[in-house]
Amino acid sequence: MMNNKWEIIHIPDKPPVPPNQQPTADVFASVIEPKLANTIVRRLNQIAPLENLRHVKRVRKNCIDGGKNQISIILCVALKGENWLEGTPDGILELINAYQLSPFIAKVAKYAALSKEEWEEQCKLWPTSYHPPTYNIDGITGFSEDDSQSIFNFMKVAIELTSSNPFNQIVNAAVIVDPSVRQVIASAYDQTCYEHPSVNNTSGTRFSCQPEICTALQSDANRVEMNEQSILNRIDQCPLSYSGVSCLYPWQWKEKHQYAGKNYAWHPLRHAALVAIENAAARDRHLFPGLGNSGLSIQVDHMQSSSIINPAKRQKIPSEVAEDMTLKACTDGFHSEAVRPYLCTGFDIYLVWEPCAMCAMALVHQRIRRIFYAFPNPNAGALGSVYRLQGEKSLNHHYAVFRILLPEEVFGKKFI
Amino acid sequence: MASVNGKDSSATLAFMELAIQQAKLAMESLEVPVGCVIVEDGKVVASGRNRTTETRNATRHAEMEAIDVLLEQLQKLGLSEAEVAEKFSGFDFYVTCEPCIMCAMALSILGIREVYYGCANDKFGGCGSILSIHSSGSEHLSSDDTSKGKGFKCTGGIMASEAISLLRSFYEQGNPNGLHANV
Ligand SMILES: [Zn+2]
Ligand SMILES: [Zn+2]
Repeated sequence: MMNNKWEIIHIPDKPPVPPNQQPTADVFASVIEPKLANTIVRRLNQIAPLENLRHVKRVRKNCIDGGKNQISIILCVALKGENWLEGTPDGILELINAYQLSPFIAKVAKYAALSKEEWEEQCKLWPTSYHPPTYNIDGITGFSEDDSQSIFNFMKVAIELTSSNPFNQIVNAAVIVDPSVRQVIASAYDQTCYEHPSVNNTSGTRFSCQPEICTALQSDANRVEMNEQSILNRIDQCPLSYSGVSCLYPWQWKEKHQYAGKNYAWHPLRHAALVAIENAAARDRHLFPGLGNSGLSIQVDHMQSSSIINPAKRQKIPSEVAEDMTLKACTDGFHSEAVRPYLCTGFDIYLVWEPCAMCAMALVHQRIRRIFYAFPNPNAGALGSVYRLQGEKSLNHHYAVFRILLPEEVFGKKFI
Repeated sequence: MASVNGKDSSATLAFMELAIQQAKLAMESLEVPVGCVIVEDGKVVASGRNRTTETRNATRHAEMEAIDVLLEQLQKLGLSEAEVAEKFSGFDFYVTCEPCIMCAMALSILGIREVYYGCANDKFGGCGSILSIHSSGSEHLSSDDTSKGKGFKCTGGIMASEAISLLRSFYEQGNPNGLHANV
């Protein structure tokens, strides 16, 4: 399929289901006399509120023969596998007797609709209300023209980095950006294989390449175009070149021998995202020295609560401990120095390939706000392909995930 | 050396004790107390402890620290990727807390043999609590297939109460009134 424009697609927490295959729940309903509707609904809202089905309307109006309205109401939720007389609140039974109702089981949509299409499908079962969802992360409901342009430019920076390694191989690349000032914080490409760090071997200097990148971004768009072209050429020469993309083939480091003779080092875990995080941390230590080992407790992610796995008993850490840990993260991050971000809070990351579970979880730990990637990773991707970390509710931090569709002329069919 | 690796064997407990020593070192440096040792043929070949505060890098978990030490050693010996991979397939990890999803995937990538851990990790655990990275390899395929990891064995609950009480005392002592006291 030809794609000839840039496009940003939100990758939601749950895999999308076709509107007509949404999960349903069972309820007891009954036809009632229209003039009794108000009285009965008021009573039902007291004795059997629809706690987990707030999006479902209590009353359904049907047009029947002769233009007459038929009113049905939901009495209560029907619990599965239960004789309805047993699980039903007393008040409901009284109501049924008092008004001589004949309950029947009806299906309603289990979750609130996320789109107009879902809502329309839900209403075929039983009417629901629809409130377009609101999100606390910018972009899920769409990007302005200006923001989109900036996002595409940062993705171009990442694409440029995929071919800038010394081994002439296409690798994954990562660019961490502060979107509030549209500035590159750190960048990296896969270093599962890298030249011996003889010159800059302290991690403190690895982020120093960033002024170059900013130049490329702000004033030398042509350079980016040129590099895209050079990637294309390289792909033409070597069609199997994605084997260097660490997140795509995380287990294949064992087979690499192709650089024998060159002066190189290797590390199976130095995927682009991890190196970029390391560079962002180095920048933080460089810009805000003296805060390093002063007792700020940055690490909260090892455990927020835990339990003993023991055949006999499972014991939990009290929840107040978990809350303390969260609070500490907040106070340490923002009170110690106003301008210093807590880890990568508020920052975006651009990745050319969808990250593996190691990289995706690293980005949770480092508190990245939004992830943009260009190509899915069917082998090991953790943002929708194999796992979907953005939908793991138990994690203490959630980012929003977007895929950027590249125009054909940027990457050519072979790349996908 | 499978004989020394029973869940309650004295060797298992002794290695976990060493991991707890690492966790205590972390605590002394005001880091969240989690520690790790890597064992080959009944001998500790590397150790590490959580270092996230000092580095301001929330990925510097005990496992990652120990792995980096070991990989550097092995490369200095001049071993190739294939030789190191062969070695890793005989390494056991002892960690005071269930590896998180990130570390579990790292262990899968490296192709280690087995993990012994102390307490479970209900928020981030990658060895059963949230995801089961350790068992999502392709065991049914031939072992030559490197397009997916092979998975690794995982045994939890070893000296868990010691691991938890360390974490508990870290948070209680560091955070008496909900505000962090700089020591
Ligand atoms: Zn990765
Ligand atoms: Zn971890």
